Amino acid sequence: MNRPRRFVRQMLTIARRDFIATVATPVFLLFLFAPALMLALSTLGGIGAASMDAGDAQRTRVIAITSPAVSTTMAHENERLRPLFRPDDRPAPLEIVAPAGDVAVQARAMLARRDVDVHGVLYGDLARPTLLLAPRSRYTGNYLEALAQATLTAERLGAPVTVTATRIQARAPRSSLGGRHQSGFVAVFGIFFLTLFLAGQVVGSMAEERNNKVIEVLAAAVPLEAAFGGKLLGLFGVALLFVGFWGTVVGQVASFLPAGAAAAMGALAPAVGGPAFALLFAAYFSMAYLLLGSAFLAIGAQAQTPREIQMLSLPITLVQVAMFALASAAARRPGSTLATVAELFPLSSPFAMAGRAANAPELWPHVLALAWQGMWVALFVIVGARMFRRGVLQSGSARPFWRRRVDKAAGGSSASI
Amino acid sequence: MDDWAVAAEGLVKRFGERRVVDGIDLHVPRGAIYGVLGPNGAGKTTTLRMVLGIIEPDEGHRTLFGAGHPRDAGDRVGYLPEERGLYPSMKAKDAIAFLGALRGLPWHVGRQRGTAMLHDAGLGHAADEKIRKLSKGMAQLVQLLGSIVHQPDLLVLDEPFSGLDPVNQEKLEALILAERDRGATILFSTHVMAHAERLCDRLAIIAGGRRRFEGTVDDARATLPSRVHYTPRRADPAIAALLPADAVPAGEGWRFVLPTEGIEPSLGRLIAAGHGIAGLVIERPSLHEAFVRIVGEAAASGAVPVEQAA
Repeated sequence: MNRPRRFVRQMLTIARRDFIATVATPVFLLFLFAPALMLALSTLGGIGAASMDAGDAQRTRVIAITSPAVSTTMAHENERLRPLFRPDDRPAPLEIVAPAGDVAVQARAMLARRDVDVHGVLYGDLARPTLLLAPRSRYTGNYLEALAQATLTAERLGAPVTVTATRIQARAPRSSLGGRHQSGFVAVFGIFFLTLFLAGQVVGSMAEERNNKVIEVLAAAVPLEAAFGGKLLGLFGVALLFVGFWGTVVGQVASFLPAGAAAAMGALAPAVGGPAFALLFAAYFSMAYLLLGSAFLAIGAQAQTPREIQMLSLPITLVQVAMFALASAAARRPGSTLATVAELFPLSSPFAMAGRAANAPELWPHVLALAWQGMWVALFVIVGARMFRRGVLQSGSARPFWRRRVDKAAGGSSASI
Repeated sequence: MDDWAVAAEGLVKRFGERRVVDGIDLHVPRGAIYGVLGPNGAGKTTTLRMVLGIIEPDEGHRTLFGAGHPRDAGDRVGYLPEERGLYPSMKAKDAIAFLGALRGLPWHVGRQRGTAMLHDAGLGHAADEKIRKLSKGMAQLVQLLGSIVHQPDLLVLDEPFSGLDPVNQEKLEALILAERDRGATILFSTHVMAHAERLCDRLAIIAGGRRRFEGTVDDARATLPSRVHYTPRRADPAIAALLPADAVPAGEGWRFVLPTEGIEPSLGRLIAAGHGIAGLVIERPSLHEAFVRIVGEAAASGAVPVEQAA
């Protein structure tokens, strides 16, 4: 068996071991379902908060002290005005009270009510009303003023006027600038989020072999480059399983979503077109994972203790956040120097190029970028393996492959003489 | 083309300023059981690691079955490192299959053979146990089986007997001989002479990073003269004059080194003088004694370490 084929075989052997060792543990289920747990918790929190809001709405009021003659009109106008606000921003329910005695005294009494929170009280002539407002109520005054104006206008007109409009919803243009930028940002953020979740796992993976001394057998049987590459590949397999699982789940859920959400998704309009964008997104996610993973693997392999690995996790997260910041800035300003820098710098390149796929229609730069990034993955793996051999296995001088080949050629010729 | 399973010349390894291995030659013939003997810290493990390509030598070169880089012959090699290590969460048969798979044996074949080998070793019940549940000796056996599951042409064992009870040491010796009979070459290191004496076709003694001796067990023992223990019929101080100059009294008799011309002239004189022979023992030196002498000389010469003593 020739060298490259054997190398691939060795890499796959190690990848297979790592993949199975990672997946076939109970902890992996916890990891796999962590997003569901997160979603469940945030949903519970959301429901709790919503019910509290609903409870609050029941116990708040704005009050208008006005003659029963206009109360019907005012109630009608209140019904008409309220839908102008988003449900969460709507003013408190309106209560209309007939004047009794000194309205100023009555209004103060209303504001001091204990059974409900009163945000504001309107009294006096509708053209020149007085608004008594609770502390910290910022928009209630505006609403009560508008309500008075609308009521007064309706009263003056006599017969109520009803406007009924015909609504036509236009479809989003194919690829608006906003849609491109938005999909650029979604791409960058999506890749960042996934790698943040997943690539950090790689850091400690070499520690296992060092602690249980398996590294000695591995190093004797396979080149360290294959061991590193295999570990990277194995954990990438775990990441793909994770992404595949949740991708399927989200895909199924999306088909049940109301039309509005689907329309919002439709607003994402990448410049290279949907299918190509999906492919490029997958490719750049893989590259981002492999690039960050190989760098982390190389650094993590140098760590002497689990404590050092824990200490490494903060700088590693910071590096990822920095790459995300750089790439998302680039996605907002396509074609700028900053964007070019982000696209060329190996660690930010997958993020930035995914952003570019959303912003620019050409496909050839992506071919170049993928090759460029692949080269860096190989470089990180080779350098990482070499550093490991030198530092950890205590070998002063690993001869580079070209010298080995020269030696072999020399040995071969001398043998034939 | 090349009759050596392992051929290494002038291997040098420096850790910092220290030359841990200082120009070692090693030639292991195919099909032989070859021992690398030496005291602790002599450089045995470092030499084996260089031979296997785990680390690169600073000077010198080595070939495995004629391959320029040892890992090019990696699939034909089995290795049991001194520091044993397996993945604790793997089942025993999977651990064996994994070690085989690293050397190119298909997983399913490795599992089958692993199960069968465990069964033969009387550990059939442990095939589906996880490594962390096995005793240290059992885990060591699993690793040993993992290093021979792919039926290697060269088996390298670093201190294979350490940590084994006498019964298991015996089993291991039988296993090494069985591997040799299968046609494998075995290279192992040890500092326990008894195993080397029983197993080795040839051996090298390493001390202070250099090779101090190379040859068969008999060659090694022949580096020391035999010793004679002579008991006369009656004790008589005059006997001393008839014996070689180095004779010292020991109990009823005398001890001395077998003279180069043989024992006969001395015996002739003793019989002629009427002292008679009540007891005569000629002892060949053991490998142990040869080893201690060779290593001792190395330590004495090691007082001037860096000088080239060729």
